[in-house]
Amino acid sequence: MTVFDELQQAIINGQAALAKELTKKGLDSGKKPRDFFPNAIIPAMDEVGRRMRECEFFIPEVLIAARASRAATDLLRPLLVGDEAVQAAGVVVCGTVKGDLHDIGKNIVAMMLESAGFRIVDLGVDVAPEKIVQAVKDENANVVALSALLTTTMVNMKGSIEALKAAGLRDKVKILVGGAPVTDAWANSIGADGYGKDAPAAVELARRLAATA
Amino acid sequence: MNSRERILAHLEGRPVDTLPAMPITMMFAGDRAGIKYGDYATDYRRLVEAQCRVAEEFDFDYVSVISDPGCEAADCGAAVRFYPDQPPAIDEANALLADKTRLARLAAPDPLGGGRMHNRVRGVELLKQRVGGDKLVEGWIEGPAAEGADLRGINALMVDFYDDPAFVRDLFEFVVEMEGRFARAQVEAGADVIGIGDAAASLVGPGFYEEYVWPYEKRLVDQVHTLGAAVRLHICGDTRRILQGMGQLGCEIVDLDFLAPVAEGRAAMGPQQVLLGNIDPVRVLRNGTPDSVYAAIEECHRQAGPRYIVGAGCEVPRDTPPENVRALVRYAREHAA
Repeated sequence: MTVFDELQQAIINGQAALAKELTKKGLDSGKKPRDFFPNAIIPAMDEVGRRMRECEFFIPEVLIAARASRAATDLLRPLLVGDEAVQAAGVVVCGTVKGDLHDIGKNIVAMMLESAGFRIVDLGVDVAPEKIVQAVKDENANVVALSALLTTTMVNMKGSIEALKAAGLRDKVKILVGGAPVTDAWANSIGADGYGKDAPAAVELARRLAATA
Repeated sequence: MNSRERILAHLEGRPVDTLPAMPITMMFAGDRAGIKYGDYATDYRRLVEAQCRVAEEFDFDYVSVISDPGCEAADCGAAVRFYPDQPPAIDEANALLADKTRLARLAAPDPLGGGRMHNRVRGVELLKQRVGGDKLVEGWIEGPAAEGADLRGINALMVDFYDDPAFVRDLFEFVVEMEGRFARAQVEAGADVIGIGDAAASLVGPGFYEEYVWPYEKRLVDQVHTLGAAVRLHICGDTRRILQGMGQLGCEIVDLDFLAPVAEGRAAMGPQQVLLGNIDPVRVLRNGTPDSVYAAIEECHRQAGPRYIVGAGCEVPRDTPPENVRALVRYAREHAA
């Protein structure tokens, strides 16, 4: 097994300390920081997403895998600064909409997007539309991902989209929405670009949308 | 046969005139009664007013004190945010047990100590006085996974299953002790049935469910039975992988959320388990029509067979058209078991 294969396995198994050690080992042996993503981290989290879909993995497994992925990326990110060949898959501003404090779904989507190569600007929970607008401007984001768990708060997704329109930013970003009460029909009705029914679907959607953003 | 008799007879397997209807209403009930949800959740008199109103208006067979999962956590000292017109929410960024060592010093609150739990107990008492002769009165407590998540923070608890299983056991031990006392207070106040909400149980796989969650759920169910009340288990989310365990708890009623097909629940739990549910609250109940709601309930009934109670997979959303809720109850009234 190569060090990339071992790292991939460590991430899937949620072994953060081992993932960190293998990343160091890879770097010491001369692997380029940018090569860890396509060869180990992205395929590992794709596999985690697959297992989640197949009900082989549940939330605890996904969270420890994401933690192991982060142990690797935390070492790699500082080394990528200034590497012209590295381009983030996109910049995603994400958050749970105003009035809603539920965040586990949003966190999982954010962690999986990060592992898929996106740069994440996580605004947390109870996020006001104006904060989203500001973050899109400041971070030059091309994707906005909004989460809501309650039928009472999902209406605030619409407010966030309206705020982006009013700020003249709507055409600059792709907007994806998700959360238990959210449906495709709802996404269409509020003018979002897509709906992800689970975290792996959100990652696929973000990849597709970012490619055209 | 009145509503209470209907449910009790059905649970005992005796003949009933029509299927019971027990949809969960909270914000929907508050809205129908013109009561802001912040008041509904914190003032038992408002909750009772709204529950009695919707039970009468829609001919539900029961009334319930369920409001939000934050009662016990608030009384333990957790940071809870209150809103004028939506459910109180636990502030996970400031979770009570962010530092796990606090658990050892945490004292279980007195359910009659004047806090949110006491407010709920008073709600049971008043519901019993107001409609207890006619409607079944339901108390409500949280299960080990849900309450554990409220106290520890759900993101942290999910990882604790791997990092510190001994802590998870200690936490669930604390929860079961506290919830047992809360259930006792509600049964003594007049609750016929105790609902146990254990939403977070659907987030862990069957392995952790069976090893860590199920044994504590079972203890809680057994405690409620010792008190002489029936148990309604409600686990939100996709429970397909834990259905068998849910069926082995000995609950009188098992709710199924819409992600777990009724047929799968029936196959996993056997012919005698009373199943309740499980139309999609948003896509079918709120966004559908009376005809589509009626047809969807009919399909649930077909899959469940006679041991069945009419309801949605989870709470009736607040802006559900009233005619859709009427269609749901109409199905119950037009069908014997």
